[in-house]
Amino acid sequence: MRSILSKIFIQRYYIQNTGFFLVIFYLFFGVVNGDSLINYHLSLMEGFLGNYGFLAAVLLLWCIYGLKCAGFVLKTFQLQEFSFLYPTLGSVPGPARHRAWLFLHAGIYLPVLIYAAIAAGVGISRHYYLSSFIIVVFNLAMCCWPLPVYERKLHHPDVYFFTGSLQNLINRHFVKHPVLYFPYELVINFPRRLFIIKLVSAGILWLTFYLLSQTGAFDLRGLQIGTMLCVLAHLQLILHHRTFDDTYLGFLRQLPVSLFVHYLRTAGVYCLLFLPEMIMIIVRVRSFDLLTIFATQLSLLILFRCLLYFPRLHPELFVRYVLIISFAELFLILSWYQWPAILILQGAAGIIFFTRYRKYERAALPE
Amino acid sequence: MSGPVITLQGVSKRYQDVPVLDIPSLTLPSGIYWLQGENGAGKTTCMKMMAGLIPFKGDIWLQDNISCSRQPVQFRRLINYAEAEPLYPSFLTGRDLLDLYLRTKGGDREQIQKIGERLGVDIYLQNPVSSYSSGMLKKLSLLLVFTGDPVLILLDEPLITIDAAALRVLYDLIRTSHQRGVTFCITSHQPLDLAVTGILTVANRNITLN
Repeated sequence: MRSILSKIFIQRYYIQNTGFFLVIFYLFFGVVNGDSLINYHLSLMEGFLGNYGFLAAVLLLWCIYGLKCAGFVLKTFQLQEFSFLYPTLGSVPGPARHRAWLFLHAGIYLPVLIYAAIAAGVGISRHYYLSSFIIVVFNLAMCCWPLPVYERKLHHPDVYFFTGSLQNLINRHFVKHPVLYFPYELVINFPRRLFIIKLVSAGILWLTFYLLSQTGAFDLRGLQIGTMLCVLAHLQLILHHRTFDDTYLGFLRQLPVSLFVHYLRTAGVYCLLFLPEMIMIIVRVRSFDLLTIFATQLSLLILFRCLLYFPRLHPELFVRYVLIISFAELFLILSWYQWPAILILQGAAGIIFFTRYRKYERAALPE
Repeated sequence: MSGPVITLQGVSKRYQDVPVLDIPSLTLPSGIYWLQGENGAGKTTCMKMMAGLIPFKGDIWLQDNISCSRQPVQFRRLINYAEAEPLYPSFLTGRDLLDLYLRTKGGDREQIQKIGERLGVDIYLQNPVSSYSSGMLKKLSLLLVFTGDPVLILLDEPLITIDAAALRVLYDLIRTSHQRGVTFCITSHQPLDLAVTGILTVANRNITLN
């Protein structure tokens, strides 16, 4: 059983994260001269062994890595091709299954375990007993806490992000409107993707406000360019939206709903997706400019989504069109033609949507 | 009801550059039709075109006056379609879907609840569809197909995966709905326990009524 679990979880994990490990490997072993490599790492270890603030930062990084490992295992369970794991692992006796969970999680978490073990050894040899003890206990906890989570996943395959009881509560009291389907999909099934994109977007906005504050005077165009970059950070979500619609929402096309309502639903999805950024902007800007900013970003988002109603538009071509449109938009913003630009974007989005929606059919795109 | 329920006029469909269906003309009066054909003949494609789910060349008319291309909303109000292998977002519950269908297609909520009880769907309506077995999902899609006030119901492989009790209920629903004037077009590789009006055969990219 261990060999198949190793193939499914451990080997797949390292193959999928080759790029990540190459970067880590370079940072740890590539930036320092070979002769001073051991001293560099000993100094690094001594740094966090002797300073509890530094140690807390290191533990936080290990914790994030532990979450990444647990997320990978849970994600693997959700893949259709590995659905056989539920009945097979479910029929394994409890203690053996717990050992299997420990084996596969430790296998994925191994790089941290090795580094932590060396650090603890160095700590003991240099009399940092408390720090070494913290490192050992912390890593034991990092190996143990995912086990009940995996066990729970095995017995509750339908529970992804929310706890079962919260999900049941929502399901009992609320009926989900179609405008919520895609945001719900992201929150339930792709929380990490959503979180990273929102983090990048928030970072762009924060930097925009910082740069604007440095100039001393508020310039609407600067903020509009910042929000345009936030929109570009959402391109992966827009492509994901098309895949989601194609795969799961075909049934909506059979409903007797006008094109205008479908269009409003699409616009509503992007209003919800951009809500965090809108709140960030509202907190800082309180004038008529808000309307211009929101209209610009929503028009861009909707137009980019509508472009994907051309079924042969594969991701690479899509990005090219997006960049062309963004450059045109940038020059219009810089020339103070914000509202004509908004009208052009909305007009183009509307024309594409109303002419393409009923004719759209998923195409087999080249890999 | 003696007039045609559905008329396909110059309908053709291609996938990429491969012609799949080319139907010069087909008119079906009220009845229960069994749509037959080999695997890959184009049965599901034909149903999806009739339901307005995929684009095609030509036009399809319901009751001779509702066009799929010109009156898409009215068209979709009169035709319901149940997929062979329904797929919904994992987090949606049966109740979410039922509510959406009743809001858009219309229909008597109480009557649908009764059908749900007969099919045994009411027990798990509150649960997300990710927890359903294929049979439970199939029964939910069969329940949804009876929402609204359709004149034509398209059932793609309705007999697969559902249990014997649900099958009896389904046959009964088809018979009683047909008595009320609803036409059915059913694909199935298993024999139907129904008195069919005619057999539609999909072959050589065309559909013929026998």
